[in-house]
This record gives sequence, structure tokens and C-alpha cells, in this order.
Amino acid sequence: MTPPLNSPSRRVRREPGEGLLAFFLLLPAATLLLGVLLFPMLTTFRDSLYLNKLTEPWLTGFVGVKQYAQMLGDARFGAALRNTLFFGVLTVGGSFLVGVPMALAAHLPSRARDVARVALLLPWAMPPVITGLIFAWLFNAQYGVFNDLLVRAGFIQEPLRWLSTPGLSVLAMVLTIVWKTSSFVALIVLGGLQGIPKEMIEAAQVDGATPTQTFFRVILPLLAPSLAVAFIFRTISAVQVFDIPYTFIQQAPAQGLLETLGVYIYRTGIEFLDFGYAAALSVALFALSLAVTAVYVRFVRDGGNS
Amino acid sequence: MSRDTSPQRLTPAQRAGRSAALAALIVGGFFPFIWMVLTSLKSEGELQKFPVQYLPSKLDFSNYARVFSEQPFAQFFLNSLTVSLLSTVLCIAAAVPAAYALARLNLRGRGLLMTAVVTFSMLPVVSLLVPMFRLMRGANLLNTYPALILPYAALSLPIGILTLVAFFSAIPRDLEAAAMVDGTTRVGALTRVVLPLSTPGVVTAALLVFVNSWNEFLLALSFNTKLSMRTVSVGVTLYQGEFAFPWPLIAAAVVVATVPLVLLIAIFQRRFVAGLTAGGVKA
Repeated sequence: MTPPLNSPSRRVRREPGEGLLAFFLLLPAATLLLGVLLFPMLTTFRDSLYLNKLTEPWLTGFVGVKQYAQMLGDARFGAALRNTLFFGVLTVGGSFLVGVPMALAAHLPSRARDVARVALLLPWAMPPVITGLIFAWLFNAQYGVFNDLLVRAGFIQEPLRWLSTPGLSVLAMVLTIVWKTSSFVALIVLGGLQGIPKEMIEAAQVDGATPTQTFFRVILPLLAPSLAVAFIFRTISAVQVFDIPYTFIQQAPAQGLLETLGVYIYRTGIEFLDFGYAAALSVALFALSLAVTAVYVRFVRDGGNS
Repeated sequence: MSRDTSPQRLTPAQRAGRSAALAALIVGGFFPFIWMVLTSLKSEGELQKFPVQYLPSKLDFSNYARVFSEQPFAQFFLNSLTVSLLSTVLCIAAAVPAAYALARLNLRGRGLLMTAVVTFSMLPVVSLLVPMFRLMRGANLLNTYPALILPYAALSLPIGILTLVAFFSAIPRDLEAAAMVDGTTRVGALTRVVLPLSTPGVVTAALLVFVNSWNEFLLALSFNTKLSMRTVSVGVTLYQGEFAFPWPLIAAAVVVATVPLVLLIAIFQRRFVAGLTAGGVKA
């Protein structure tokens, strides 16, 4: 089966044995990815076609797309999907509103730059569960520091019950996720800023551009590829969000509004032990993630960094 | 860095704006962590005051002692350290050769392989939870270190590969060609020329894997349910009772759990910023 080496049909001449070498170099990574990620993923597809609910063990067997049909009529799925998309729009938008100015601030020449970078990285590196816990404490109705600051500043008279008021609990979770994820946007944008040749900005200044003009006419267009990459990655993580809503729900009575698709999958599979339906829900989340990924792959292939 | 010496002289207004922007960034980034440190040093009574008393009247370190006495937190810490370090080693050991092959060899289907790597990096963990759980149970790995090491290494592998491909691609091919003309093999060129030059890339990738593994919650929560096998990210949630949240205690646990990350960031901040922005990293 091995084609003759150096055959004229090959576009690129290879060294003898290069194909074999590549095979061995890729083998460990491929084994891990296929064994630990791809195999469970394929199992999910299979499971979604079978009934498998530990609380009703007598109901088993192949049901085809029945569980997908069930999903379409499931109000809780509809709500979880709506919540996910709603949080997605607010938190992706919010992380850009905060993250881009953060990147600009961190890019400024200053003696405090190293400290600024640590401040920039800290939210990114903080474990999401711990972020959720910390913010639940900051939003605490009785002793929370956010209430304290708002009262001291005179914005409110009485402490707000952040986590037990439906609308406020949504706002609290959005603010938490925005704090956690703005760093990521800022890091990607900071990379873009560092890649802009200084000469281009100086040239604009020599030509008499104001700082505002320089920003909107020179810097922003050059940042477009970084912004696009950050946007796509943020969208994917927003669709999959789990840890922070999971922590918040432990403390918030208004759970319905906070349940995302990720949390609903977790509860269906782990708490209600309905593996079949959890698998069908998982496939829906795969599909959503893959749709965004496809946009990303296409963007990269079409030379997003041109 | 050369950009530090700005040729432009700033007006006082611009200078004030710069200070305000930096101050906002620094306060915003550090505040929640600092607040946990302050909370951890207060007593329960001091905490239950409104308006909030910002600074503890005396430093009370007893919460830290309780973190370790009420739960086996030292064991959690050791578990996290072991799992994160071994996942990092396994992931990097698999990522380096793969990234070298993708960056340097004339592979057929290279584009397809890269697309596959990107796609793997986007898989939602929660969707894989149940089948992975059954896989681990089938392999009799639940409540062992490999139950977390294998998925953590696999989940971080795509990011590791993408980061390393970016670094390897930036190394001039002529260097390897020269080494090979001088008589070394492909593998020799990798180990003696490319690897030493890409140490910064390997360090960056390793830091990413370590942080991801240290922070992971869902799989740790579900696979290792035995108390002696818990990791810190799950451990910090174990202090809450059914109705009560002993905040000074939780705060102390949070501080202990995040200190390694804060240290890593402070030491490697330049590396992180350079690496994260070069690779394109999942949030």
C-alpha cells in the first residue's frame, strides 16, 4: 500500500520516512483526543437515540428521534435555551464594553504596567466556581459590599435582595460573568494592539489626526481581526456557560431565570439520572457550539488576519 | 520594551486620564480577591455589620486553621497539585510532537487536522460528562488520579497544540536545515534545535494546561466523589451547610485555593500575556 517515495505524482517531495515519522509524532495526541474526547462524543449521539433513565429502569430501548421531539415540546428546554442566548448577548456585549477599554489601559506606557497586567490576568485565571462564590458574597443581601457601596453613595436607601429578586439575580449573574470574561477579551485585544506597528500611529499623528480620529480610523480597523477572534471564542464559552450559573443557583431562589442549557444538561443527567434525554440535550449543545466553531474555522481559513 | 518611551508628551488631562484608567483596571481586577482576603481575617460577628466594616479590627487567622481542620483541605490541595502537574506533563508530552508534525512536516491533510484540533477545543465539557463518567467507571478509574488527569490532558491538548504550532512556526526553518546538513536527524533537529528555542512556548502552553486543570470543577465534582480524592475547586464548596454560608471560612478556603494561581500570574505575567495573545485561547 505504501506509495513509492519520491514518486512524481507527489506535489511535495518528502524525505524518506517522513510520513511514518509524522504518524508516530501524532500518535500520542491522537490517542488522547480520540479515546478521551471523540469516543464519549460518539457515545452521546448513540445514547440520544435510546431511553436510559435510572429512575425508570424498565423503560429502555431504541426510540430513534423521540427524545429530540420531546425536547421541542419541553418548556424547560425552551427556557434554558432562551436564558443561554439572553445571557450570551448580554455577557458577550458586556465583556467587550469592559474588555476593550481594559486592553487600551493596559497598553498605555506606564510604570504600573506590570501590576496592571496582573490585574488583567487575575479574573481570567480565577476558577469560575470560585468567581461565582466570591460574587455571591459581594451581592449578599445583608452584608454584601455592593449594597454597602450603593447605600453609601446614596443610590439606594435599603439594601437590595440581589439573589432573591428575579430581575436582580439575572443582573448579578451578568455582572459576574462580565467581570470574569472581560479579561479574556482584553488579552486578545492587547495582543492585537501590540501587533500594530508604531509607525502607523505616528504617521497618523504627523498628518494631524486627533487621538479620537487615530483610534477610530487607524487603530480600530487594525484591531478588527483580534476583535473577531475574541468575539467567536467568547460566544462559544457563553453558549457552554456552566460553573457560574451553577454556583449562583445554589444561592438564588429565582432559579428558573438562571438555568442555562449547560446547567439543564447537568441536572437532567446527574440529578434526574435521565441519561438518554441528557444525551439528546447534549447533542443540541454540540450543534450550537459547532455552528459557532464553523464560523471561526471559516474566518481563519479566509485569512482573518489579513 | 521599546514602547515604554513614548515620544509624545502628555498633557495633564491625558496624564490624569491614563492614571484613572489604570487605577480602574487595577482596582477592578484585584478587588474581589482582596475582599476575600479581608473577609477571611474577620470574625463571624464582625462580618454581620451593615454598613460594612471594611477593615478587620484585629487580624484573626483562626479561619485558616479551620479550613484545614474542618475538611481535609491539605489533602485537597495535594490532590489538585498532583492532578494538575501530571495532566500538564501528559498534555505537553503529547502536544510537542504533534505540534512539531503539524508545523514542520509536509503532511497531507494538514488543514483538515488543524480544523479537527480547533473543533476538539470547542467541545462542551458538560455534554461529555455522562459518557465520560461511564467510560471512567468502565475502566474502574473513578476516585483515582487518572480519572481527572486523562480528561484534563485531553481537554487542554487542542489549546496546547495550537499554542505550540504558533511558536514552532515562528522558528526559522533554516536553523533545522543547517543542523540536518551537519548530520543530525529530523528527531535530532527537533530535540536539539527547535525545542530549546521554543522553551517560552512550551512554558506558556504548560502554564495554560496547569491553570485549566487547577480550575476545573465539573469533572472533579462528578468523578472523584470520595472526600480524600477531592480537589480544591470542589473543596471550597464543601464548607457551606444546607442553609448557612460561613463566609469567613469560605473566604479563607478561597484564598488558599487561589494563592498558587496568583503567584503563577505574578511571576509569569509577561509570558502569559505574550502566550495567550499569540495562541488564541479559549476563555
